[in-house]
Amino acid sequence: MNRTTGRLVFAALVAGCALTQFSSMAHAQSSLGIGTSEATIPSTGLFGGLMMWINIQQQAFYRALTGALKAMRQDGGQMWLLVGLSFAYGIFHAAGPGHGKAVISSYMLANEVALRRGIMLSFVSAFLQAATAIAMMTLLFLVLRGTSITMTNATWFLEVISYLLVMLFGAYLLWQKATPRIRGMIGANPAYSLSAAHAHDHHDHACVHHSHEPAGEDSHAGHDHSDHAHDHHHHHHHGPGTVCSTCGHSHAPDPAMISGDHFNWKTAWSAVAAVGLRPCSGALIVLTFAFLNGLWVGGVLSVLAMAVGTAITVSALAIMAVTAKNWAVSFAGDGRAGNRIHAAIEIGGAGLVFLLGLLLLTASLSA
Amino acid sequence: MHVRTRTTILAASIAVLLVSTGPASVHPHVFAEARLDVLVNPDRTVRSLRHVWRFDDLFSSTVLMEFDKNGDLKLDDAELKDVSDTVYESLAEFGYFQIVMVDGKDAAMNPPPKLMANFEQDQLLILFESEPREPLKLSGKVSFGVYDPTFYTAIDFIEDDNMAVDGMPADCSRTVIRPDPEEALAQNQGTLTDAFFNDPTGTDMSKIFATRLELTCPAQG
Repeated sequence: MNRTTGRLVFAALVAGCALTQFSSMAHAQSSLGIGTSEATIPSTGLFGGLMMWINIQQQAFYRALTGALKAMRQDGGQMWLLVGLSFAYGIFHAAGPGHGKAVISSYMLANEVALRRGIMLSFVSAFLQAATAIAMMTLLFLVLRGTSITMTNATWFLEVISYLLVMLFGAYLLWQKATPRIRGMIGANPAYSLSAAHAHDHHDHACVHHSHEPAGEDSHAGHDHSDHAHDHHHHHHHGPGTVCSTCGHSHAPDPAMISGDHFNWKTAWSAVAAVGLRPCSGALIVLTFAFLNGLWVGGVLSVLAMAVGTAITVSALAIMAVTAKNWAVSFAGDGRAGNRIHAAIEIGGAGLVFLLGLLLLTASLSA
Repeated sequence: MHVRTRTTILAASIAVLLVSTGPASVHPHVFAEARLDVLVNPDRTVRSLRHVWRFDDLFSSTVLMEFDKNGDLKLDDAELKDVSDTVYESLAEFGYFQIVMVDGKDAAMNPPPKLMANFEQDQLLILFESEPREPLKLSGKVSFGVYDPTFYTAIDFIEDDNMAVDGMPADCSRTVIRPDPEEALAQNQGTLTDAFFNDPTGTDMSKIFATRLELTCPAQG
């Protein structure tokens, strides 16, 4: 029974994601042939009614946004209306076709990341997305105008890179999460129980840079110090100057390790970059109009407001994901079932990022 | 038993979570103010439908940026031709957004020979004319709707007069019907669910939501 638990959860993870992804990838090209319809809805179906209702609300919202932009062209004082609407747009729209929230949430499922860091990641990636949009439009408008590089080309190019990064990132996470477990399962180390593997996994994360044995401490003192100085950005649970007391000689799950930060800036930055490289189409549309009409400040402010809104939604979803994970793990208890579920969620989260990247990449390469 | 229940709840909650973090839904980015002229021959047959769509400023500005190959911030004739060719090609799949019905049955329209694109006061205009495939006589209830089945473009007829009939027989009456989307949804929920089970990929909701011009004429043999 327990063995199937993990598989069930994993299957649910993959199926849920694949379904939502495939259903939205059906029509990337818009009906007018200009611009991309970000996703399409089933025109009939069980949820047709609900989707239609959402559609009507969004339509009304776009109308308001268009109106605000036109009003700002007439009267610069209307700028704050636009900024406010952009903020709301960010909240509701949440990072375009949703790869942002999916990547951040899955990353947080796959890693032991404190909530406040998850929130920070959401904000950083949303602002990077805004910066990409602003930089791209500025470049296109001021430098590349009249060349064969169009907005569609540039967006597509960034999109492909972004999705490729998402895929690679997922593959890396998957490799990192799955290999210790597979090694343990095939019996390379019979004494390597799942719970030890669990602790060890985190131990590798947290302490890899200074896994010094107590005996070696004197001979490597200088090394330790430089290492530590380099390292304490990662380790907020022990202050500067202290030595990580459990490193190198404890395989027991340290409560601080489980509940605290195992935060790896390198992986976090790759998540942020993967998300932030693809500019949101809403931001591009607003910027195009704003730049064409010389509304530089309004355009940039409105895109930044969008980023704040997006970050709030993505944070909320990431918090939901992590809360659900913690709840699931504690619900399953501390025993083997708990560990398996923990493992399944982590590997599932990593697999999800990979799958998402793969699907989005294939869709945009074939478009 | 205990474990089984936990597992089920767990799997379900994770699945729900993932579905909820899936991609956002559709975004109608584009609005067009439309005008439709139905041209009627003296023998009461429909000669053609003439469409004019004036696109919103936002979409128009992205079109300008996209098709302005020489970078003069204007669309010249060659650039406008590119625009119209692109739209023409794409619309073919969607019957140029036209829904013509005679007594509740679809009447086929020929694709327009070409599309005209123009740029006026920062707004993109698209014009075209389409003829019925079979002779279409004004008899009984004939309706003309314009709708994008993908919901990407919202085609708006701001005033009832923007749906006009040129040469309407004196014994016909015209009404413009604007379905309230939420009401239409509620009324058609059953039909929509049935349609899904019978034909999951097929029919669209255009017929329910489209603003349409309905002509009621005495039935003719």
